[in-house]
Amino acid sequence: MNDHGIRALIVDDEFGIREGCRKILTEEGFEVTTACDGIEALEIFENDPHYSFALVDLLMPRLGGLELIKRLRALDPDLLLIVITAYATIDTAVEGTKQGAYSYIPKPFTPEELLLAIRNGLERQALALEAKRLREEREKRLLEVASERSKCSTILKCITDGLLVINLEKLVVLRNNTAARIFPKASRQNVPFSLSELEYPKTDELIDEVLEGDPGPRIVSRELAIGKNTYMVNVSPVIEPGGETSGAVAVFRDITELKKLETAKSMFVSMVAHELKSPLAATEGWLNLLLSGLAGHDPEEERHMIERSHLRVRTLRILISELLSITAIETGNFELHRTSVDMVEIVREAVEAARERAAGKGIDLTLNELLPEKEKTALADREALLLVFSNLIDNAIKYTAEQGKVTVQVAQNGLYAAVSVQDTGIGMTQPELDKVFDEFYRVKNEHTADIPGTGLGLSLVKRLIELHQGQINAESAPGKGSIFKVEIPLS
Amino acid sequence: MTGTKPSIVLVDDDIDFLEMNSGILKAKGYRVSCFSDADQAWQSMEAEAPKLVVTDLMMKSLDSGFSLAKKIKSDPRFTDIPVIIVTAAASRRGFDFNPRSQEELEAMRADAFFDKPVSPEVLISKVEELLA
Repeated sequence: MNDHGIRALIVDDEFGIREGCRKILTEEGFEVTTACDGIEALEIFENDPHYSFALVDLLMPRLGGLELIKRLRALDPDLLLIVITAYATIDTAVEGTKQGAYSYIPKPFTPEELLLAIRNGLERQALALEAKRLREEREKRLLEVASERSKCSTILKCITDGLLVINLEKLVVLRNNTAARIFPKASRQNVPFSLSELEYPKTDELIDEVLEGDPGPRIVSRELAIGKNTYMVNVSPVIEPGGETSGAVAVFRDITELKKLETAKSMFVSMVAHELKSPLAATEGWLNLLLSGLAGHDPEEERHMIERSHLRVRTLRILISELLSITAIETGNFELHRTSVDMVEIVREAVEAARERAAGKGIDLTLNELLPEKEKTALADREALLLVFSNLIDNAIKYTAEQGKVTVQVAQNGLYAAVSVQDTGIGMTQPELDKVFDEFYRVKNEHTADIPGTGLGLSLVKRLIELHQGQINAESAPGKGSIFKVEIPLS
Repeated sequence: MTGTKPSIVLVDDDIDFLEMNSGILKAKGYRVSCFSDADQAWQSMEAEAPKLVVTDLMMKSLDSGFSLAKKIKSDPRFTDIPVIIVTAAASRRGFDFNPRSQEELEAMRADAFFDKPVSPEVLISKVEELLA
């Protein structure tokens, strides 16, 4: 046994014993400290408690061995204590071990007797320490397992996917809260209960497929409609460490919203395809007719056909840029370049740009400026606002008969600039008005048949205004005209 | 001179198709009445039955053209009037409108189905075939 570095404390009032023991132990490689009585020993120990064992005489002045043993034991429950005494009786020995001594050595003793007692004691101490370590470790691990378990069950409970675990007898042995909500018929059942009590045979089929299929890890996935919702159900076998299948886990993910989005997306794509195809088909149709020469070669007729084609191609180009803008807004890639924009000035610019078109239809286009110029500004994207107001004014002109009236007004409403565009045009019914900001919605009736449009303009206008933290409302009555009111926050 | 040529009803909410198709048919001497709405077309038919109807598919609703074709074919007065459906909506909502067989065409209650634009030659030869 390698005793190097093992620290020993020798407590004896007899100088001869103290030094004799020191000599023996030092020769064996122990690191030895001595004390001449209990008080000195306590002082030494309290200053530096790292001792493996202590040899303690019983009869000492000031503080006796029995009391010292008691106090040392209190300070260090693992310290090996060996009594050395010349007055050994059964009684004192018993008393010593009661106080926590391991054994005693009667004086006089030979060096071999001393070392044997110490080594036996150290060996026992080592065993005790090891046992203690193992015990502590086991307790810690038990605690970990217990907390792991409660963690797992909490996670299973809180998980938003439905979860069922089914054993080979087709009994549901675990079900989380979400699964209970998905299958209300079996929600009051305590596990285990038969799978058939879910009353949803399609789940049974999936489980069968996993349990009766080839052994090994794999996933069976299916979209299932349960109740009003659609779920992606993934079933996989539970494989034990030995490789044998002991059951199946079924996870139910609610994809109802995802399905709705998917439908909306494919609807939108079909819409876009149709809206792109219509103007192209019209253009191709006119060109076909021109090339066929079927309609004759009257230059005026031919020019008319070219003009119609030109108009449709132009509409198609605008549609595509609007579509790109809307997509950019939707994906958050539309950047506003905000500068200080004079609201009066920008509305005036939009009105002036439309002046010629209005005059061409004999429409009276007026602008009411109820705001002083260069005083009310908004922190806005100039181009975007110009597009908004031009779009609204163009619409007003488009849907107003010749000799009608379009009135644009710019005023202040609290913290907002209030811009309105009013016309005396064909107007809309309430159901038409409800959909007027929807993509590709165009009012279809005998008045609108020959008015070109993309069906995206107002949808884009609304989005641009919302990007500016503003709002737009519309009021209308068939035959009476419409008014679009925009509010943009002033800076 | 055109009094002997049959009359055709043309329905489309797209003014360009209405104009170009009527141009094609008029060039061949047919009498053409144009409507941008299926209901108006139906009203005119009650007053005077045409010899043939060419209609757009998607107008006020997604299947205005189908409804009109069905209405015509179900009415004993008009059941023999050929109907041609034209559309720019080749497929929509994952449903392919293009009939692949004679049965599908009949199920649509239409005598011919074309993707827009129909070339003048094709339209004329189909009209002539159906009126023969």
